[in-house]
Amino acid sequence: MELQAGRFYVLRGENGAGKSTLLRMIAGLNEPTEGAIHIFGTPNRQALHQLGYMAHAPLLYDELDGMENLRFFAQLYGMNSDVPLAEAMERVGLDPRLARRVGQYSQGMRQRLSLARAIFHSPRLLLLDEPFSNVDPDSALQIARLLAGMRSAGNTILLVTHQVGLLADLADEFLLLSHGELVDRGPMPGAKA
Amino acid sequence: MSAATGKRVAAETPPKSMSITRLVWVNVAKDLRLEWRSRDVLNSMLFFSLLVVVIFSFAFSPTADQSRNMAGGLVWIAFLFSMVMALNQSWARELRNGVLDAYRVSPAPAEALFLGKCLGNFILVILLECLMAPLFVVFYNLSSVGPLWQLVVIALLGTWALVVNGTFFAAMSIRTRNRELMLPLLLLPISIPAVGSMVTATTQVLTGEGAPVVQMKFLAGFCVVFTTACFLLFETVLNAE
Amino acid sequence: MKSPIFYVLLLITLGLLGWGTYQAIMVAPPESTMGDAQRIFYYHVPAATAASILFWGNFFASLWYLWKRSPVADALAVTGAEVGVVFFGVVLVSGPIWARYAWGTFWVWDARLTTSLILWLLYVSYLVLRKSSEVGSTSVLAAAMAMLAALDMPIVYMSNRWFPTNHPQPMIGTPNLNPEMQKVLLWNMLAFTMFALLIAWFRFELERTSQKINQLHLRKAAQGISMAMLAPLLLFFQDDKALREQVVQHHYMVAGYIAVWTIYIGYLLFLYSKLKKLNREAAAIGLR
Repeated sequence: MELQAGRFYVLRGENGAGKSTLLRMIAGLNEPTEGAIHIFGTPNRQALHQLGYMAHAPLLYDELDGMENLRFFAQLYGMNSDVPLAEAMERVGLDPRLARRVGQYSQGMRQRLSLARAIFHSPRLLLLDEPFSNVDPDSALQIARLLAGMRSAGNTILLVTHQVGLLADLADEFLLLSHGELVDRGPMPGAKA
Repeated sequence: MSAATGKRVAAETPPKSMSITRLVWVNVAKDLRLEWRSRDVLNSMLFFSLLVVVIFSFAFSPTADQSRNMAGGLVWIAFLFSMVMALNQSWARELRNGVLDAYRVSPAPAEALFLGKCLGNFILVILLECLMAPLFVVFYNLSSVGPLWQLVVIALLGTWALVVNGTFFAAMSIRTRNRELMLPLLLLPISIPAVGSMVTATTQVLTGEGAPVVQMKFLAGFCVVFTTACFLLFETVLNAE
Repeated sequence: MKSPIFYVLLLITLGLLGWGTYQAIMVAPPESTMGDAQRIFYYHVPAATAASILFWGNFFASLWYLWKRSPVADALAVTGAEVGVVFFGVVLVSGPIWARYAWGTFWVWDARLTTSLILWLLYVSYLVLRKSSEVGSTSVLAAAMAMLAALDMPIVYMSNRWFPTNHPQPMIGTPNLNPEMQKVLLWNMLAFTMFALLIAWFRFELERTSQKINQLHLRKAAQGISMAMLAPLLLFFQDDKALREQVVQHHYMVAGYIAVWTIYIGYLLFLYSKLKKLNREAAAIGLR
């Protein structure tokens, strides 16, 4: 299966179709039983700095606050400055100066911080697993616009969601999975030309 | 909130400031900070060791001489079981909220995570030992015939020997059922030579009979061999999915 | 088992086992001080040899698996470990039975025994790891564990050599074997090694089949067998000297045989029940 750079893909399918597993495989967390995965020409495990991954679980430390969490992950990517981190938090609608521990965040806030964690290093490929669950409609719209902006900037987005309506205008293509296989793909119904 | 505009596309090559030492330090700092905020590991370890000390003290009430012969074994068994708690907890933290996945998805190498965890656990256990040492002295009328610096060296080497294998097996037991049970089950057989050596050496120093230098060299060798092996195998084990 | 070679080898092995046992009980000359109880030696040593072959097999198979990730390597690894644990278990059971007679005590913490016990424990924990790990990560984790276990063995051995304990060092090693005894020993070594390898082959095929079906079910048939073993053991717990002198050398030999063959038969029954279960599953999904 081949995907083009710079496009916004939506992964659909019934529960258990393997959407999350596919994202995990691309992110290098699971091994494919056959074949190999390449991102922009390099095997996926060697291109991790160009990947941003957001899972169903928040992937954050409860005992640290927002900026501390981001700072830790930033250092894993070799980034030492707070500036892009504060920017990422603001883009998802969080206050970087908030000293509250993530354990005390609301679900929606945690979701947004998790997104911030996925985008602060400006990855060329974004993998998002149900980013709109537990988020109120206004924030969801905000996030959708944020993603559209990233796509316009040339990044590639692969998103799993059940709320397809939200992305009808913004996404380029959809991929339909069933029982672990790709059964259909094509331009988003209702997308602008 | 301003409308999102595109940001510059990230550089093709990974940034350079990612030496393993730096990453290890980042991990250690994070673990210690987490521990400081919640303090559950330290508390449970302290409480458990205290219980062991008190119970054994009731059961045996040794004289100063007797205690010198016994203390080596008793102390290390208490620390070994407390350590198992710390090890389980430290990985359990990474599994809450699935944070471990975030690490695996980042370009940071797995080995840095491993060494960071080992060092973090090592520091915690050494802290435990420092806190417990005066208690042992008090409860068992313990006084050492041999030099104290030897006890320190034995403690450092022995703790590292146990922690390095323990961290490795704790990481393995993430992917098992009965997580808390698997760790001691896997760790204890492999650690038997190290524990035997530590206990013998400690007893030798306390009673003043026999030079523990051979034991210390053995422990050092054990540490080197297993640190290397676990370091090399860790990435395989972390990504075993 | 489809292959006819297996059945031919089975007949040969059974013949050799019978011949070896006959030689061990009837033909080999009695040992001067220990008499019949010494005959335990004729299956104790071969079981140890077979077990070491199997554990080495596990080591190389694990190495191969880490390098190539081949399911055949993984099947070989688990075979080596499991069958090795059974045969080594025989060593650890027959040894103390003999020791109780020869030294008056079941166990001493000397170099060789301690090393053996640790080795056995390492492989038991290997098997426990395999059983309780998530499917998908089992093979890799087990292979890593096998590497560490292999690394530990020389260390354990060295540590026991360098740090002798206070216990007396009884003479375990080979007594000056007269050539008659040597012949019997060699026949038995051949018989038991073939026995071990044959069981291993069977176990390997089981593993390959279950890999294909992708389901593992373990029956605990062995539990009933171990209960049966306890009864004769109770006799040996009495530390009454007079009673011990009454229990003759002959009884120790017999007890040894019963204990050891109970282990072997128990394991074979366990494998058999596993085979039946696998066959049922295979039929259900149309593999045969």
